[in-house]
Amino acid sequence: MEIRLKNLTKCFPGNPKKGIPDTYAVNALDITIPDGKLVGLLGPSGCGKSTTLYMVAGLLEPSEGEIWFGDEDVTDLEPEKRGIGLVFQNYALYPHMTVYKNVAFPLTNLRIEEAVKDKDGNQVMDETGKPYIKKRKLTKDEIDKIVRETAKIVQIEQYLERKPNQLSGGQQQRVAIARALVKKPRVLLLDEPLSNLDARLRLQTREEIRRIQQSTGITTIFVTHDQEEAMSISDEIVVMKLGVEQQRGVPQEVYNNPVNKFVANFLGTPPINLFKGRVENNKLYIGNEVVREITEKDVPDQECTVGIRPEGIVVDPNGSFTFECERILTMGRDIMLVAEHPEATTNTKFIVDAFVEVSTGTVKCAVKPHKCFAFSLEGDELRII
Amino acid sequence: MAAVASKKGGFLDFFKNLFKRKERVSADAGERNNWKAWLYLAPVIILLAVFTFYPLINTIVIAFLKDYDYTTQVSAGFTFDNFLTVLTLAGKDEAQNLVYKWNTFYSAEAGGYVYQNGAELMKVYFQTDVLKYALPNTMVITFVTVPLSIIIALLISVCLHSIKAFQKIFQTIFFVPYVTNAVAVGMVFAVLFDSKGILNFLFGLGTEFYWIDHAASWGHGMIALCIYIVWHALPYKILIFLSALQNIDKQYYDAAKIDCAGKFKTFMNVTVPMLSPQILYIMITSFIGSFKEYTSVVGLFGSPSTDGGSTKNMYTIVYYVYDCLSGTTTVSRGAAAAVMLFIIIMIFTAIQFQVSKRRVHY
Amino acid sequence: MEYDSRNFIQKLFKMKSREQKQAEREATAEYQSIDTSSMTLVIKEGRANAAQLARAQKIGRIITSVITYSFLLFMSVIILFPFYWMIITSLKNTTEIRANVQTFFPATVLWSNYITVFNTFDFVTYVGNTLIVGVISTIGTLITTILAAFAFARLNFKGKDLIFAILLATMMIPGEMMVITNYITVAKLPWYEFGVGMINGWLGYKDAVFASMIVPFWVSVFYIYLLRQNFKQIPNELYLAAKVDGKSDWQFLWHVMVPLAMPTLISIFILKLMGSWNSYVWPQLVTAGNESWRLVTNGLRSSFSTTSGEPQYGIQMAATILVTVPLLLLFIFFRKYIMKGVGRAGIKG
Repeated sequence: MEIRLKNLTKCFPGNPKKGIPDTYAVNALDITIPDGKLVGLLGPSGCGKSTTLYMVAGLLEPSEGEIWFGDEDVTDLEPEKRGIGLVFQNYALYPHMTVYKNVAFPLTNLRIEEAVKDKDGNQVMDETGKPYIKKRKLTKDEIDKIVRETAKIVQIEQYLERKPNQLSGGQQQRVAIARALVKKPRVLLLDEPLSNLDARLRLQTREEIRRIQQSTGITTIFVTHDQEEAMSISDEIVVMKLGVEQQRGVPQEVYNNPVNKFVANFLGTPPINLFKGRVENNKLYIGNEVVREITEKDVPDQECTVGIRPEGIVVDPNGSFTFECERILTMGRDIMLVAEHPEATTNTKFIVDAFVEVSTGTVKCAVKPHKCFAFSLEGDELRII
Repeated sequence: MAAVASKKGGFLDFFKNLFKRKERVSADAGERNNWKAWLYLAPVIILLAVFTFYPLINTIVIAFLKDYDYTTQVSAGFTFDNFLTVLTLAGKDEAQNLVYKWNTFYSAEAGGYVYQNGAELMKVYFQTDVLKYALPNTMVITFVTVPLSIIIALLISVCLHSIKAFQKIFQTIFFVPYVTNAVAVGMVFAVLFDSKGILNFLFGLGTEFYWIDHAASWGHGMIALCIYIVWHALPYKILIFLSALQNIDKQYYDAAKIDCAGKFKTFMNVTVPMLSPQILYIMITSFIGSFKEYTSVVGLFGSPSTDGGSTKNMYTIVYYVYDCLSGTTTVSRGAAAAVMLFIIIMIFTAIQFQVSKRRVHY
Repeated sequence: MEYDSRNFIQKLFKMKSREQKQAEREATAEYQSIDTSSMTLVIKEGRANAAQLARAQKIGRIITSVITYSFLLFMSVIILFPFYWMIITSLKNTTEIRANVQTFFPATVLWSNYITVFNTFDFVTYVGNTLIVGVISTIGTLITTILAAFAFARLNFKGKDLIFAILLATMMIPGEMMVITNYITVAKLPWYEFGVGMINGWLGYKDAVFASMIVPFWVSVFYIYLLRQNFKQIPNELYLAAKVDGKSDWQFLWHVMVPLAMPTLISIFILKLMGSWNSYVWPQLVTAGNESWRLVTNGLRSSFSTTSGEPQYGIQMAATILVTVPLLLLFIFFRKYIMKGVGRAGIKG
């Protein structure tokens, strides 16, 4: 099921008397989420990603805009009529029901369509020649079978008789996914599903989510503030800031070609290093050093911000950049240098291989040109090169 | 947050955990504070000892004393007669001698129970007020008003919780009966239920339809009484349920919506289980409260009957107990009735705790 | 040995374990013939068109809110009607009250009922008595409650939990169990002898009667519980900090905890005062000797309950209003405290 958000806006009205302005949690969002894909909505807290998700779920009413599932406008539909599964941030498992009942609960509310058959097992046709279809509640056996099959997918068969508070965070999370999946939703929505888990479990569970999504093929939207999490499992990511979409695309593509300073800064740990710089004669400068020549297009001379990814700086005795290295952080596989540069807006952090010998003090470095970006100082700080 | 409901610390939990919990010995070991703590508790303990614990034991003792006179505090020893009298298993003849029921037989001639006293048959009079009126009335009041008021209160609080506009105003209105005087408002209801009152007028029942006076039938009196009790019992329940509802995490309702549960199903599967600690609390307190119903009868009828006092058809157990205090030698019968009431309450509370073990989710 | 999930009773009656039942269920042909993959779960009931469905939802929502508001409105009328009727009845003359056709507003507004009430019903004396009894017993209760709640919330001593449990258990004992003996107790205490008065008494007869309406109510387990919960919420760090500053428990209680728990204390104060105003049974018993020592409620019932011939409803209702209005005023001014105080009790179950 393809999901299209058209000009989706959520505005929380302010109070003009008290001088509180209207707040736009989501502002004119246009996104198309392709069928069967896992899409991560990504942004810092307060960027409207959860609001978007809740609007897709139907728990919040959009102030403007439309939500389409395939060729159907579901904007005004109640959540129960949308055919969605939602995993809440803190799972919202019913504490008084066993895991089995939690998972079976949606099924007890649904009905199935079934072609009516006569005694010989042939389909009964109505006057127009179509198969006669009857709706009925699911039987206990059917519910049981579906619950157990779903439990198998998320691997919680052995906990079915327990209460949620007897389960660990990861197990609860899988129960919540099972509850969302059990009614075969058209769309699966996950609201910060990993934020309540510890680091190790988080890694394991995100693989799990990926596996479940791929095995079921359900279009999935996934909200997170953790860029690493989003990048590692999403087919596509949408980066949001203050209710406005910044960039959308395949994770690696977004990382390699951020459209503006915000996206460049938000993606990647440690974050991108920012320097004051300028463009002169189609050359990018930091201080008096040339970072790279601009060959692809003509850029007018201007002041700008230069961003260099941590992996874009390499220690090189012949390099033209001089950093004052303050600390060396050993990370095992690599080491990270925390250094100062007169033009840098904050500490500069860069990552070098562990076998490179460095010491605190002056370090000469070179820069990988394709890891460098320049951003305008004006407006949305769009990328110049 | 729903967590409030699940946190240990409610006084129902307290009993459950009392014998389980190993008190952690904290750093500033308690021993040092020991005697000081008793000093802080002294006023309460002394007052409770004099006005609660001693009376409790003493009342039980009195219930078993024969011919106890509380002005002289003299009795003729241990006996079960008080209980037997209350239960109409013992009566008195015209000479005020106590006669057990099993020593009597029914005589149609005398129009009652008689016993062989020497050569002549003596008629025996039983005190039937408790078995005939007080106990059945108390049971009817309890089993009608408690479920009724809980259901209505639940309905109102759910409705109140679901609205946004005027919620505060409605909430205040529904709380007003709580701050009124049971006797005073009982008198107001007496005016409403008067045969020439507004209710008969509104429902076109004429001016000869009696609810509370002119020897109105037992049923009519009970209906009026139950309506009044429910009216007076609603506010507290609504307040408790509403504040509990406001503490339920809204996410469970969102989850129920996502799970396609309808309104009724959500109510039964989310709201009621989440409210179950409060429902249990309200059940236990209002069961105890309605077993002790008294002031509402005083307010509505002024006497324990619909005809000014002769039949006592509106008696409750507690009314009987208080009536017993007016005579110097009837006190021990009152004590016996109070002990029986106590036992009934204990049994009911125990049953509710037992039943709730499975149904209540903390 | 296989794991057996059955409990004792299930084993006794040779009932099947959950696993066995499940296995049997799964073995049936019907169960196996269920094909979950081909099932079509219905998302939308009945209508094909999302726009139609949306409109139906909107109408449904309007109907729901109409029903909700009508129900609430209806119930509020029921709740408020007795008050309305009390007021207008107090302004009617007896003929109008007893008329065959009831009026919803008095034909002539009559204030004389109130004058009659002040002449027959010694309202001022009763209110005075009630205030004396109410205020003194409330202050006493507050003191004992604060001390006990502090001990239960902050201090450690042997048998703390047991004593607290016993205290809570007393709440389940019907007060009638105590009334009988307490009646004898206050009568037997040296301060007065039944109705005779002044025999070996420390106090005068009247003072003794008042004392017996006050002293037994200087302790309330329920409020101790309420305040203890409140005290427990005050962070332990404050207590430890006070200890470091060299404050004694006593100073900490009165300088830190009591001010912090002020809202609860105000709630208790008001609720207790209202309790005194409404108390009926006990004052009725102990003031049997002299009508002028009674409290408001007793005065109300006894002044107007003996009805020979046509009841004087107008005057009764005027008196009832006089008793009810102070409570309503208290409620209007302290609504928050009253509702919070009452509501807090149930939350923790």
